Amino acid sequence: MKAWGWLGLVIAFIPLLIWAELGWNGYLLQLFMFLGLYIALTVSLNLVNGLTDIFSLGHAAFMALGAYTSALLTLPLSRRATAFPALPEWFQTLVLPFPLALLLGALVAALVAYIIGLPLLRLKGHYLSVGTLALLVIVETLATNMDFLTRGPRGISGIPVYSNAYWVWGITLLIIYLTVRLKNSSFGLAFSAIRLDDIAAASLGIRTVRYRLFAFVLSAAMAGVIGGLWAHLVRVISPHVFSYGITFQVVAMLVVGGLGSVSGSVLGASLLFLIPEALRYVERQGSFGLSQILVAVLLILIVIFRPQGLLGRNQARRRAKEVV
Amino acid sequence: MKKILVVLALIGLSMAFAQIKVGALWNITGGMSSIDEPGYNGMQLAADQINAAGGVLGQEIQLVVIDGKTDQTANANAASRLVDVDKVAVVGGINDSTFALASGPIFQDAGIPFVIAGATLPDLPDQIGDYAFMVPFGDNIQAYAGAEFAYNDLGAKTVYVLYDTAFDYSVALRAFFKERWADLAGADSILLEDTYKNGDKDFSAQIARLKALDPQPDVLYIAAVPDDVGNLVQQIRGAGLMQPIVGGDGWDTPILTEVGGEAAENTYFTTHVSLSNTGDMVQNFVSSYTETYGNAPENAFAALGYDTMGLIADAITRAGSADSAAIRDALAATQGYSGVTGTISYEGDSRVPNKSVTVIKVENGDFVFAKEVTP
Repeated sequence: MKAWGWLGLVIAFIPLLIWAELGWNGYLLQLFMFLGLYIALTVSLNLVNGLTDIFSLGHAAFMALGAYTSALLTLPLSRRATAFPALPEWFQTLVLPFPLALLLGALVAALVAYIIGLPLLRLKGHYLSVGTLALLVIVETLATNMDFLTRGPRGISGIPVYSNAYWVWGITLLIIYLTVRLKNSSFGLAFSAIRLDDIAAASLGIRTVRYRLFAFVLSAAMAGVIGGLWAHLVRVISPHVFSYGITFQVVAMLVVGGLGSVSGSVLGASLLFLIPEALRYVERQGSFGLSQILVAVLLILIVIFRPQGLLGRNQARRRAKEVV
Repeated sequence: MKKILVVLALIGLSMAFAQIKVGALWNITGGMSSIDEPGYNGMQLAADQINAAGGVLGQEIQLVVIDGKTDQTANANAASRLVDVDKVAVVGGINDSTFALASGPIFQDAGIPFVIAGATLPDLPDQIGDYAFMVPFGDNIQAYAGAEFAYNDLGAKTVYVLYDTAFDYSVALRAFFKERWADLAGADSILLEDTYKNGDKDFSAQIARLKALDPQPDVLYIAAVPDDVGNLVQQIRGAGLMQPIVGGDGWDTPILTEVGGEAAENTYFTTHVSLSNTGDMVQNFVSSYTETYGNAPENAFAALGYDTMGLIADAITRAGSADSAAIRDALAATQGYSGVTGTISYEGDSRVPNKSVTVIKVENGDFVFAKEVTP
């Protein structure tokens, strides 16, 4: 898409956002915001899992880092002395504005991704996935046990509501834009080369670890911002919110949409988020649990009949040809 | 003839419109379902009985049920939906504070009273705001009762404490239990404190540390949520540890005896009501629940759900209107509402009732009343 195409998309979105903020009821508006967050999560995970050869299962850990950072730095002073008595003086007096707190959340997530990524991204394939899963477990365990900083499993409640449709969708569109641009740039070509054959790519002078690290850190920063928006929308965070549940939900959205396809990520996230919500009418007639069953069946069908995902590149077939 | 039909149609129409919408937010699917579904059934039963007796203020109660799916996002969305789409006057439900904290602020902002059926975190109404009320006692009360029962009635002098780190509920229970136990028997008599996390299936590491204790503790206090208790007793008894086990109301679930089997013998837990109580109130509830659902109430949460609806209907009657703010004021002024799970009064500004605690013993696979404790 050309630059003017993007501009058109953004301009077309502005009236929608204003209409949503002013005209929609709270329920629709909230669904609209969660939809944006899930799309942003899926697209930012696609940057790593779809474009490079990393299959990360640690995305929720970066969300947690962003969410805790942003929540702690914006929490009203009245709550801090009682909830966090062990934290130092500067923390008891400093309330950051929301945009700055979001940015710091992204920085913390990116920094952790960088430090962890340096050794981790030298691994490959399943080992790398398990390594990222370990990161998820470590962050969750720390959040559960560093009581003085996170209130442990009780979580932090009373987080001020700053997320609105403008913030959520502004950042979602930015993440989509960055990912598409990156995919179609020389970086995207390098990612493709690494994904298809990292030894060949390295032999051509592509510094594989450096490229992987770049994608990993950028994706982590995005997850950090999304985590911050999440915290300021739901108003309460606790360690087990950013755990396997959301990790596999977003991976499922990614797989349904199609690995590597940005439009697929948008579609996959929308379908898996909206279908269960739309089924509430039916569920109310006494068939609770129907939405979970339908989503599970949908997943199984897609994995069997369209393993590349709804809009994904035809990876399975290509692999098959390579084998032949 | 036509005229009569028109009049009848109009009467029918006006009766159809004369409804008070009450939201029922429960985690009917997912990890909380073993206690939330009985809660929802209890609430539905109470609504049906109230409607059969003529409703409140001459209007029918329409229960608008929605599934929170044991997920914070789904709970927040469900709460918004009740407020903005279904436009309910008041909401009841939820048995765990993690989910009450995700949905509560949405009701608070909309000015809709939220009657929390089974979550027992004592400062929950303070964290949410002045529209939140609790039907059960706080965890401090039941943990104190558990400590006093173990010390006075089981004659324990030493104790072992195991708790689930994943829930506010279990973390708070353990803290309040230790506080009262230390007052009764001294802090030294807590021989070991250990942790696990909801979802763990293998407790062999904890059990090995417990077995290594010499002397062995007289009683094991375990703060757990429903889905773990069956596994816990299986593995503890399997390791040859036969001390009495004491727990909180998270143990009040059929899972305990279904999964635990014989291993569940000699366990005690503090909860909201004994369903084997022979009083009229409890027995009427048990028989009508059994008649409606084909099985006896699964646990005390069914009774809490029943009382949640009763308390709401009582407040609407006293408010004299279905206006949310009026219902809130009437709820806050509740004095001596007599429910299946005890008498509910909100003293002063408190929105947590003072109630007595029931201790249940597992005997031959049945939940048997052991004692009523007022700590």
